[in-house]
Order: sequence, then C-alpha cells, then structure tokens
Amino acid sequence: MSGLSESCKTTEVDGCWTLPVILMNIWCYGMMLFWTLLCIMVFPFVLGLCKIVLRWPVDRLMRWYIWIYGRGWLLLMSPFVHFRREQMQHVKPGQPALFVVNHLSFFDTYCMGLLPVYDIIFAVRAWPFRMFWYSQFMRLARYMNVEDSSWFETMENCKQAFVNSGAVLFFPEGSRSRTGELQRFYSGGFKAAIDAGVPLIPLVIDGTDILLPPGRKQLRPCRIKLRALEPIDTGDFSGTDGPLRLRKLAKERMAKALVEMRADRKDR
Amino acid sequence: MTEQEVIELIDSSLAEEFELDRADMTPDANIYEDLGLDSLDTVDMVIVLEGAFDFKIREEESVRAIRTLGDIHQFVLQKVVEHS
Repeated sequence: MSGLSESCKTTEVDGCWTLPVILMNIWCYGMMLFWTLLCIMVFPFVLGLCKIVLRWPVDRLMRWYIWIYGRGWLLLMSPFVHFRREQMQHVKPGQPALFVVNHLSFFDTYCMGLLPVYDIIFAVRAWPFRMFWYSQFMRLARYMNVEDSSWFETMENCKQAFVNSGAVLFFPEGSRSRTGELQRFYSGGFKAAIDAGVPLIPLVIDGTDILLPPGRKQLRPCRIKLRALEPIDTGDFSGTDGPLRLRKLAKERMAKALVEMRADRKDR
Repeated sequence: MTEQEVIELIDSSLAEEFELDRADMTPDANIYEDLGLDSLDTVDMVIVLEGAFDFKIREEESVRAIRTLGDIHQFVLQKVVEHS
C-alpha cells in the first residue's frame, strides 16, 4: 500500500513518466480497449440470454450490463488504482432516489460501478451521446440527454424511473471541475427530486482528478474514494425556493465531505 | 408592483443567481451569447423567477423561445398581469 501511495505522490507532477506510470498507461488503455470491444461483441448474446432467463425489460438489462462493464473497468484498473467506497449503507437497492455527484474526470461515470445498485439512469449533457461506441447502449438504457431535451421531458423520464423503483443520477456541476473544487451547481436535479418526492443522496468522489483530470491523457496511479452521504428528505423543501435551499444544503455537505476525504489523502 | 419594479426584481434576482454584471444586463442582451448562460441554466432561471414572484411557470414553449433579457421581462410582466 505504501508503494502505491508513493507512486501517487510522485506522479502528481505534470508530465512525469515514471515506470509505474508507463506500465499503467500501457496496461489500462490496452485493457480498456479490449474490455470495451469484448462487451460490445458479446452484448447481443448476453442480452438475448438474459431476456429469456431474467425477463427484464431491455432498458433495465442495459443498465445492469453497463454496471457490469463499470465493475470490469474497476477490476482492470485495480493493479494501479486503489478503490474504496464509504457509507454505502445509505444506498438501498430497489428504493427510488436521486443521486448527485461531483465531477472531476471522464472516469467518474465508470466509478459509479462502485455503487451497490445498478438500476441508475444517468442524466448527462449531449456530448457523451456523440461517442458512437457508447451512444446506442446509452439510448437503450434510457440515459437522459438533459441538454437537448426539454425540462418537462426530463422530469417525466425521471418520474418514470422512480415509478419503476430505479434511480437517476445527475452531475450538478454540469462539467468536470478544472480546479478540483466544487463549481456552481445547476438546480435541475434538485428540482426533479423535490417534484418527484424522492430522497436526494449526495455522492462525493475524490481521486479521479489525479487519475485523469480534464485536458490530460496520461493516466496516473491514485486512490479513488466514493462516499455516499446521508439521504436528504426532499419533503422538507416545498415552496418556490425549495430547489435553491436543497441545492445549497447538498453542496455544503458535499464540500465538507470533500475536505474530510482530501485531509485523509494528505495523511497518507 | 410597477413595471420598473418588476424589471428591477428580475434583473437583481438573475444577477445574484448567475453572478452577472448589471452593466451587461440590457434588454437586448442575448442570455446565451452575451450573458453566458447555457441551456441547463433555463431550469435555474425558472426556479429563480418562480421564487422571486411566487408563481409557477409551466409555459414550456414560451420559456424555450426566450433569447434576450427583454424577452424575460416581457414574459414575467405578462405573468404578473395574469396573476394580479
């Protein structure tokens, strides 16, 4: 563990190509390509088999498959990245909820494989839908393009997900942070949670800004932590200022948790 | 409220929420190109206006058609008249 820790520290310098970094980039990019191609190729067979055995709707199967893909990614990265999840007792399978999570890296979405639930619809901007190798899977999973859809459409889709005991996940910052600090939060996700009457569960991720921050292609060894905060009952946030109050409360709690998690990072 | 008071409340509420420079907030300012908002800010704009004027905004098409700060003024002024 201490070796990994040292490696994290030494690779924080921009452009540093130490041996672990070189090995990591060869291994991780190669295996990611292999894993992605494998998952795409076997998908029709898995879908057909699971449809017969599990009899789930296609969109739910697709979300499960994407979650499995994320878990596989975690496994492939594990020789160089230490993953840790905290306070996951707050996340209960089969209970509708709306997750909000801070955004540090392209790989944040993959890290959602750390969650103990798979039935999550991601609400994202338009650009992820332009990655042709993922876009069809995202559409099948009924992921939401909040940039190109009307707000009323997004709300209806959220409500449908909650009716089916699923969850929806928003990145309230809308884009990756370039400083590592929380940016301004959009209110959409908070309004969705209040309007649907489901609990809001803030998630805080730390470490992916070392793995791959915006503007860099070199992967670096690191520790990634995903912490679930205590669910917030949105019933207490009625009224026209409800979404703004909920947004403020969630952001305060997330900022506090992020400070705690980073203090822990420095202690190592 | 007078028309000018309504406009002042709109501008001050939006300036506070989106940290806008009041000098840039002219009626013909495009909310996307000149004020730097994006499509996701539409929801925030609706929430801020609902909070400031204590009414619900359900006219999705009208909101989507808004391009300038002047459009927002006209939209809200009409809603205020409807609710008075």
